[in-house]
Amino acid sequence: MTDDETTEKEARTDGTGIVPPDDETPTWSERKERTTGLSRLTYEYFERSRREDQDLREESDYVERDVLAFPTWPHELVRNLALTSFFVGMILFLAATLPPHLGDPANPSTTPSIILPDWYLYWSFGLLKLGPLNPELAILGGEKLLADRTYGVLANVVIVGFIAIVPFLNKGSARRPVEQPFWASVGVMGVVFAFTISTYSAKNLIPLDPHLLFDLTFLVPPIAGAIAYALLKTMREGYMYDLNRRYYKLRPPK
Amino acid sequence: MADEFMKGLGLLSGAGLVWMVLAGWYKTPSFAGGQLTSAVPDNLTMYDQLAVILLEGMFWLAIFGAILFWVGIPLGRELYAKYNGE
Repeated sequence: MTDDETTEKEARTDGTGIVPPDDETPTWSERKERTTGLSRLTYEYFERSRREDQDLREESDYVERDVLAFPTWPHELVRNLALTSFFVGMILFLAATLPPHLGDPANPSTTPSIILPDWYLYWSFGLLKLGPLNPELAILGGEKLLADRTYGVLANVVIVGFIAIVPFLNKGSARRPVEQPFWASVGVMGVVFAFTISTYSAKNLIPLDPHLLFDLTFLVPPIAGAIAYALLKTMREGYMYDLNRRYYKLRPPK
Repeated sequence: MADEFMKGLGLLSGAGLVWMVLAGWYKTPSFAGGQLTSAVPDNLTMYDQLAVILLEGMFWLAIFGAILFWVGIPLGRELYAKYNGE
């Protein structure tokens, strides 16, 4: 560089710099409070990009290029073909060397000793076994208002309903857990609960007292969530959090 | 650093893959029986015995290869640097 003024105003092309579109760029808290619609957000986002691009082009040392990215062929496709070939080759290799077992045909006249759905439905199967939570009402003389099986089905509705509500409670502007420790720990709680309720669904195969297992099913997730919350709160103090906060501020407003 | 990690991971996964296939051939008597860890059957031909030797070798290569590159070599470099006063 010939003088220091140009180095000071030099635009950064590595994606870490930011060029505010004007002097009215809102702070982060102002962005969070704003509730205008998606169209306005999109406009501002692209206007910001356009302004960054314009400033870059106005730099004296900017080299005009025809291509601003790698072309799909050959760069992207060669990489993708290499990855695809690896996985196809691995499938062929494993299918040839370890062919899958073909068992006897199922006997429709006997019931298997272990009945379980596919593993990704264990959580739902576990929710069908929530009989101990079904209250016995005094006004009904110790009778249950709902049958245990109806209660289990309704528990599925509650869980699915909660999962459906979460995006409305928190729009999810954080891109990494330290930015929003509370919601990250809610997520940890959900993942751990999915695991514990899945374990509870196979309670006859778990070498634990069923009552203890039932208690653990509901006690472990909040504990894991609390640990995650404490950990993330601690991580906010560190070096990485400063980096994260910096990136966080670079993002377009929600 | 990253190279050593990749070498260790390559040994762990590559030797582990060969071990898994050979153990599936020789140490898995049936679908419902023990998996990959059962006893090797008797009356093996010479080729089968060689494969069993390869099986055992790959198992230990996967374990000690990873330990060598993830622990041994970095440790050795640290010690070398320390004794050279760096």
